[in-house]
Amino acid sequence: MRDRDVGSTSRRQVLATALSGGALLAVGATGCATGGGAHPKAKPLTTASGAAPKGKITIWSWDVAAKAMTRLGKSFEQSHPGTTVKVVDIGYDNAYDKITVGLGAGSGLPDVITVEGYKLPSYIAAYPDGLVDITDRAARYRTSFSQAAWATVTDTRGHAFALPWDSGPCGLFHRTDYFRRAGVDPGELTTWDRFIQAGVTIKARTGHRLLVMDSREDTTLSMLLQQQGQGWFKDGRVAVDTPAAVRALTLMKQLVDRGLVDFENGWDGLVSATHDGKTATTPTAAWWDGTLTSEMPDLKGRFGVVPLPAFTDGGVQTSNSGGSTLAVTSQSKNPELAWTFMEFLLADPANQASMLHQEGLFPAYLPALKDPSLNDPDPYYAGSQKTMALFAGLVRDIPPVRYTGDDAKAGDIMNTAVNKVLHNGADPAGVLHSAARQIAAATGRKLAG
Amino acid sequence: MNHKTSPVTALRRTAVYVVLVAGALVSLIPFYWMAVAGTHTSDELFHSPPPFLPGGALLHNLMGLQRSIGFGRVLLNSLGIALVYTVLSSLLSAMCGYGLAKYRFRGRGLLLGVVLATMMIPLQVLLVPLFQMMSSLGWIDTYQAVVLPFLANSFGILLMRQSFLDFPDEILESARIDGAGELRTFYLVVIPTARPQLAALMVYTFMAQWNSFIWPLLMLNTQDKYTVPVALNTLTGLTHVDYAGLMLGSLLATLPLLALFLVFQRQFVAGLLGGALKG
Repeated sequence: MRDRDVGSTSRRQVLATALSGGALLAVGATGCATGGGAHPKAKPLTTASGAAPKGKITIWSWDVAAKAMTRLGKSFEQSHPGTTVKVVDIGYDNAYDKITVGLGAGSGLPDVITVEGYKLPSYIAAYPDGLVDITDRAARYRTSFSQAAWATVTDTRGHAFALPWDSGPCGLFHRTDYFRRAGVDPGELTTWDRFIQAGVTIKARTGHRLLVMDSREDTTLSMLLQQQGQGWFKDGRVAVDTPAAVRALTLMKQLVDRGLVDFENGWDGLVSATHDGKTATTPTAAWWDGTLTSEMPDLKGRFGVVPLPAFTDGGVQTSNSGGSTLAVTSQSKNPELAWTFMEFLLADPANQASMLHQEGLFPAYLPALKDPSLNDPDPYYAGSQKTMALFAGLVRDIPPVRYTGDDAKAGDIMNTAVNKVLHNGADPAGVLHSAARQIAAATGRKLAG
Repeated sequence: MNHKTSPVTALRRTAVYVVLVAGALVSLIPFYWMAVAGTHTSDELFHSPPPFLPGGALLHNLMGLQRSIGFGRVLLNSLGIALVYTVLSSLLSAMCGYGLAKYRFRGRGLLLGVVLATMMIPLQVLLVPLFQMMSSLGWIDTYQAVVLPFLANSFGILLMRQSFLDFPDEILESARIDGAGELRTFYLVVIPTARPQLAALMVYTFMAQWNSFIWPLLMLNTQDKYTVPVALNTLTGLTHVDYAGLMLGSLLATLPLLALFLVFQRQFVAGLLGGALKG
C-alpha cells in the first residue's frame, strides 16, 4: 500500500470528491428514469448450488497480481471445463478511479475486482450494495487467513465482502556489509532503542544514515502504529494521541534529531536511495524483496533481513504494509463462478505458494506458509538467507487493525502533523493531541481513552 | 547603407538571445531526458549520477513495450480515435459556429449563452452521469463511447463563430441568388475562407483527444482497445514501475503531435490570433 506520488493522489482526491457529488446526482437521475437501477441490491452468496458453475468471468487487476491470475486462470479453465477467466490489467495508478465510477454508476464493473485491504472499508461504507456479501461462503476460511488480513475484508458486524490475497509482514532489510564494517550485529536489534544506538555507531563508522523516510507523505508512522495493534482509529474511535502513537512519533523524532534519517521523495526516492546505498536499513514489508531483486540485481549478496525491532523487550517484532483482496461485484452476472475461481486461487496452498515464488505475492493464507519451498535458501541475500521462511514466521504475529471509511481523511491530517514534528521539530505529544481533536471534528468520531 | 548598430543595442540583443537560448534549453531538457531514459534499461536509470547520453537499450525497450502493452496496436487505436474525433468535431464546430454567427433566429443569444456556460462545467461532474448513459446504451468498452460524448466542443464552436462573424453577408446573399443551397454555400463558399481557423481548431482538437486520459480510461476495458495514455498508465504497477518503457512510450507518443504542430504551425498561430483580432 505504498503511497503513490503526490500528483496522482491529489488528482484522485479531487475525483473522489467530485464523484461523491456526481454520484448523488446520477443516482437521483436514473432513479427517475429507470426505476432505481443504479444500485442492484447485493444478493449474498449463500450455500452452493452443487452444480459446477460454467460461463465466463472478467477480473480487473494490476501488474504482478494480473500476471498471477492470467497464469492460474489458464489452469482453472483446464480443471473447470466450460469456463473462461478473462483478466484485464487496468494499471494501478488509476484503478480506483475506474472502480469508484463503476460503483457510483452501478454499472460497468467486471465480476471480480482487486482492492487493497486498507481501501476496502471505504468502499463498503460508501456503496453498501456494491459488493456481494460472501460471509456464508467465506466463514469456513476465517481461521485459515492471517487475522490481520481477515480484519481488512470484514465489516464491524463480521460480514465478509472479499477474500484476502497477499499480506505484507514487515521486517528489517539491512546492508550486511555496512553492519560488518561498523561491527554491529543486526541480530541484536531487538528493540527500537538498540536500533537507534546501532544507527549512531553505523553513522560514525561508515558515514551511512540508518533509514529513509518520505519527506512529504510519511508511511513509517502507520507501520509503527500497526506494530502496536492500532491504526488511526481503534474500536471506531480516534486513536492518534494514544501512548502508543506518542511513543511511535517520538521514536521517529529521535531518529531525525540524531541525523539518522535520509529524507527522500516518494517511492522513486526510496528505490534510488537504496540503490545508491545511502542507508543501512529499510524497515518494510516482504514484497520489498521483489523491488530489490528486480531493480538492483547488482547489489546481490549485500542484503539480509531480521525481524522488526520491538518497542519493548519481547514485544511484537513485525507489522503490516500492504495486502490486496478480491471482491465479487453486485453487477456480476456469474457470482457463483467468481467465487469458485477466488476459492481456487486464494484458498489453495499450492497456488498461493506458486504466486509467492513466481510473482512475489506473499500469501495471507496460512496453510500456504507450510509449503516446503519457503525453506529454500535465497541466493540474492547474504549467506543465501532463507528470508521467506523468516517472514512466514512473522505473519501470525501481525496485530490486526481495523481500517475505516474515514482513514483517508485522518491520513491527510496526520500527514501534516507528522511533517510538523519531523521537519519543524514540534513536540510529538502536543501535535498528536491537536491532530486527534481535528480528526474527531472532521469525522464525528469520539476520542479513544 | 551603413546602419551601424550601436554597442548598446548589440549588447541588449545579445542579452535577449542569451535569455532565449537558456529558456529553450530548459524546455528541451525534459525531451532530452525522455530520449536518454527511453534508451536505457530501468535499473540503469537509478545509477547515480544518472546517464546523460543515450544508451543502447532502444530495441530492447521497444520490444518490451510491444510485448507488455501491444504498443503498435495501441498507437493505431489512438491515431484512429483522434482522427475520427478531429474530423467530426471540427466539422460540427464549424457548422454550429456558422449557424450562431450568420442565422438570425429566436433564442440565438440564449443558445450562445448555453454553449458558453458548458465551458464552465468541470469534467469530473460529468463523469458518473455520462458513464451511466454509456452503460445503458451498452457502449462501455467501445470506441464510439470515447468519441461521441465530447463531439460538441464549446471552445471550437466559439472559435468558429468568431471567425464567421466578419464573413460578409453580401457574399452569402449572392451565393443564394446564384441558386446555391445552404449546405452548398457552407461547403463551397464559407469553409474555404475559414481555413486558417479550421486548421488551428483541428490541431487543437487532435491534441486534446490524443492526450485525453480519464474518459478513455473509464470507457475502455480491453487491453487491445486502449489508447496510448491509458496503456502507458498500466506500466505503473504497485511495486514495480517500468520507467524505461514509460519514457520511450511517452517519447513516441509525443512525436505525432510534434509533427502535426510543425506542419500546421503557421495556421495554428494565425488562426488563434486571427480569431482574437477580428472578434
